[in-house]
Amino acid sequence: MSELRAESVTVRFGGLTALSDVSIDVPSGGFVGLIGPNGAGKTTLFNVISGFILPWRGRITFDGQDVTRASASKRAAMRIGRTFQKLELFGRMTVLENMLVAAEAGAKRLGLMTDLLHLPGRHRAERRSAGIAEQVIADLNLGWARDRRTADLPVGSARIVELGRALCTNPALLLLDEPSSGLDSGETEGFGALLRRINEERGVGILLVEHDMDLVMDVCKKIHVLDFGRVIATGTTKEIAANAAVRAAYLGEEADEAPASPARR
Amino acid sequence: MKPLLHLRGVEARYGHFVALQNVSLIVPEGAVVALLGPNGAGKTTLLRTVSGMMSLSRGEIIFDGAPIQRLPDYAIARRGLAHIPEGRGIFPSLTVRENLLMAGYGAPNGDGALGRVYELFPVLAQRREQAAGTLSGGEQQMLSLARGVITRPKLLAVDELSLGLAPILVAQLFDTVARIRDSGTSILLVEQYVRHALRLADIVVILHKGRVAFIGEPGELAHDDSLVESYLGGKSSARFGVASEDAVALPMKATASSQRSKKRRVSRG
Amino acid sequence: MQAFLNTVLVGLVTGSVYALASTGIVLTYKTSGILNFGYGALALFTTFVYWSLTITFHWPVWLAAALVVLIVAPAIGFLLDGTLFRKIQGQPIVIGVIATVGLTVLIQGIVILIWGGQTRGDVPSLFPRAPIRLPGGLHIGVDQAALFGLAVVLALGLSAMFRYARIGVAFRAVVDNRPVAGLMAINTRYVSGLAWAIATAFAAVTGILLTPRLLLDPVLLTPFIIAQVLGAAIVGYLRSLPLAWAGGLFLGVSQALLLKYAGSGSGIGDLRSAMPFLMITVLVLLAPKTLRVAGLGSSFIVKTREVTGHASPQTRAVIGAAFFGLLALGPAIARGSISWRLSLTVGMAYAIVFLSLVILTGYSGQVSLGHTAFMGIAAFTTGHLVADQHLNVWLALVFGALAAVPAGALIGIIAVRVHGLFLALMTLAFAFMAQDMFFKQPSVSGSNGGIPVPRPPGTASTNAFFYLVLAVLLVCCLIAINLRTGPTGRVLAALRDSEMASRSLGINVVKYKVVIFSISALIAGLGGVLASMVTEQATSLSFIPFLSLAYLTVTVVGGVFHVGGALAAGMLWGLYPKLFGHIDIMIRLENIFFGLGATLALARNPEGLFGEFRWIGAQLRSLRDREPRRVAAPLPVAGGQE
Repeated sequence: MSELRAESVTVRFGGLTALSDVSIDVPSGGFVGLIGPNGAGKTTLFNVISGFILPWRGRITFDGQDVTRASASKRAAMRIGRTFQKLELFGRMTVLENMLVAAEAGAKRLGLMTDLLHLPGRHRAERRSAGIAEQVIADLNLGWARDRRTADLPVGSARIVELGRALCTNPALLLLDEPSSGLDSGETEGFGALLRRINEERGVGILLVEHDMDLVMDVCKKIHVLDFGRVIATGTTKEIAANAAVRAAYLGEEADEAPASPARR
Repeated sequence: MKPLLHLRGVEARYGHFVALQNVSLIVPEGAVVALLGPNGAGKTTLLRTVSGMMSLSRGEIIFDGAPIQRLPDYAIARRGLAHIPEGRGIFPSLTVRENLLMAGYGAPNGDGALGRVYELFPVLAQRREQAAGTLSGGEQQMLSLARGVITRPKLLAVDELSLGLAPILVAQLFDTVARIRDSGTSILLVEQYVRHALRLADIVVILHKGRVAFIGEPGELAHDDSLVESYLGGKSSARFGVASEDAVALPMKATASSQRSKKRRVSRG
Repeated sequence: MQAFLNTVLVGLVTGSVYALASTGIVLTYKTSGILNFGYGALALFTTFVYWSLTITFHWPVWLAAALVVLIVAPAIGFLLDGTLFRKIQGQPIVIGVIATVGLTVLIQGIVILIWGGQTRGDVPSLFPRAPIRLPGGLHIGVDQAALFGLAVVLALGLSAMFRYARIGVAFRAVVDNRPVAGLMAINTRYVSGLAWAIATAFAAVTGILLTPRLLLDPVLLTPFIIAQVLGAAIVGYLRSLPLAWAGGLFLGVSQALLLKYAGSGSGIGDLRSAMPFLMITVLVLLAPKTLRVAGLGSSFIVKTREVTGHASPQTRAVIGAAFFGLLALGPAIARGSISWRLSLTVGMAYAIVFLSLVILTGYSGQVSLGHTAFMGIAAFTTGHLVADQHLNVWLALVFGALAAVPAGALIGIIAVRVHGLFLALMTLAFAFMAQDMFFKQPSVSGSNGGIPVPRPPGTASTNAFFYLVLAVLLVCCLIAINLRTGPTGRVLAALRDSEMASRSLGINVVKYKVVIFSISALIAGLGGVLASMVTEQATSLSFIPFLSLAYLTVTVVGGVFHVGGALAAGMLWGLYPKLFGHIDIMIRLENIFFGLGATLALARNPEGLFGEFRWIGAQLRSLRDREPRRVAAPLPVAGGQE
């Protein structure tokens, strides 16, 4: 079981409280959305979960273990993977090399001497990670871009490469930070299907931060809503869509208006 | 309507890659022109060539009766063309006031102009001495919009106003853009959220692979599914907000709640 | 007490010049993001112009100073902005460092070409030297008082401009976001040109004020000014004018006190010279995180011409084998000339040093301006192990090189905390401190300024030693190639492109930074020992810190991304004097050649000399690939001429 729980997480930057008493959970293999206005603290929460920020108070457990103080790379080794709101690809490297780095990072460490002196162990390790990388490239239909530098790819494909790179570490949980930002409508639609496939076929739990409500409502089974650093609602997609507080804070409708009447242009 | 901006056969390249090919279009005085199209269609490139951030390899651009394609960026800005680039091009280490001061550098804009802008964007008045980099994403976008209009430009070119913003903020920003239009500024709008753009636009231009694929009125577009299908992506109906009956379609009326959220943000800061 | 106060007073005056000097470097750093290592050289050049006007042409001092400060210096600044600085702006900091270091080398070359290498002690002072008596028995020269006053006025004026004047705000706007500043109707070319013009004027003022009391030395003045300026500016973390000013005063006073109360025999080396670098080390380590990692964009990503695609592995192996085969024939070909064989040996020894920089900078995107420290540690350790412990020279060579590893690991740990430009400054400070506090000590470099570093047994002859260096170079090249193509190299490249993403994949950043700096230090140490063995001694002058900058520059000229670049750089370094030795002008132009190579060529071709070879290779390949297609294409003209 690889359930993620964030319990009463509080984060302060200087005098500002970015997150206050936030508790969320992602069940093993679950598909959970995290929405809320800009500055609500979504990315901060991601950074706390993946180990880039130490919370001021609160606890993160994964797979039953307390990982609150574990380093980012330690958590990655425990199979928490993530993508970034602002693309963080290895731009000068090809798509294949990006995948290889990830596959090798997820594998058992190769001895430095074995590597530098080109001893036989290096060949074995390289063959193994090449297998993983090629598999993911095939799965995501990235064959055409395999030997292209990622800096030269269009945004839409780059987002998919970043997702694939995270998959190469064989994660049990994926944190996706606005993965559809910068995609056009057609690309977003395909992206939703892809995410669902990863969740269902590979059994990877997903926590999704996203502004594209069509996408969120389409793929998520449960949604947490953050506003001003607090969780203001948790529930199924239907519950959230009907929640008056959420509509007021985020979706931008007067709270007292009947929730069933869709506005037209 | 008199043409304010006129592009004739514009071509622009990145090295060997042709980003714009034989693009011709007109922005009439006082009109809102929405520039749509999928990623990589050349929308941002078009704005960059217009404002002089990028040089064109062929064609001409006439603004307010004079050719501007050979002028440097700052000279074009001084003629009354304000470009708000993609990704909130603010000066993060300058204060809000200094950011506004830099807009239309060299043109006289005293405290009167500042006051007018603060009236349009009350949030900015609250934060005038704060470093712009510490503003939230929405406030930064407000600032870049404010900086665009402080000089009362003849044409405002806006790139992806909504990028990375929550729906409620997008709605607020578009209300502001509507007010700017009402004050007499023409607008050239690049937008991913087609629905917002169509609400505001008088003319729609669709770019596809660096060429103009469609020019017409928004009404024509909304009823032509094949156009929408091929150029703006499949599931367009939800984004247009035309046919969706479920509660997920995002409503547009935002004034009351947006006032509320502004107040809250201030009291918290 | 009176003596103490007088010392403080003198320190304050010197410090005010440092403060003034730092103003110029902070100004351009703030407006362009480029830390100008050429600042000292600009001061040198403009001061020489001043010297010529006053001494050679007998101009009145004030007229000469006005011409230099108000016209000559700003013109140079404007010119450099247009031809160089604007082109490298926004590029990774390594580029800025190399370009401005190249500028230093270039300007020093020009100065020596025009004015010769002599030190001038007769630079006229702007102010009379008559003493003023102050209450309490203190005294100070009129020149010193005037200098202090001038420094205060200029610094306050510039601060006020930044804060309140429109053009000052425009300066900062251009720093923040240059393309958008253009959209805001700011003429960015004019603004950045103005900044460089003002900064160069400050450099001229610094030189003209400092040299009447110091000496005008074409070699020593530049590093001296750079050291003091960096020490002062680091107090404001290169961004704050008032704090840099305070730093200048602090530096001046503390150096005056050290000179008076802590003589050179105090056992901690030359603390006074090391002072600016102690300040850099302490302040950078204490800096807030946002500053320390500000250089996150330090990755060596280059936007200009780049040859993508490689020759096939077979072709590369053949070219490599041919190169080393030719080298191995070197002693036979140059049988008649010992000096040719020695030059080749020197070239190979330095190729090893340059290889350590290729691994560090080209492969991993890390910066080091302190490689002389690693070389020195290794060479002196080897020498002492042989002389004091009577160790076998082979073993001493190995232990000497290994002795550099802890130093490298230390820098690696620092590199986890400190990135980019501040890391570069830390490593430079490290090299200076190693030099001033250790290498200069008689217990390290001997009472005669040098200790013997004998060649290993059996390699005493020129030829045998040649093959030893060749063998080491070959092994180092193979290890470097293995490193680049294997999993470790991929991780290093990943760290270079995005540290955050690397961590999110489970890569242990600390481990890899320590590993890469250790490997680089080890190889640099090997190169340092072997280079010392050529002359069979290591002296306190063998590892002058400024040479670190020269090494990085030459490596970039050769090509910092590839093993082949290090080899090209080594051959260039070793053989230049031999190739052009008989042409006097070429020897005098050597500095200019390397300086130009680094500064101007960089803007065009960041892959250096080796990049040119690769480009030619790519052209050849494309010719070959096009051949069959051209045959297959039908000719438009009908008929059977084929």
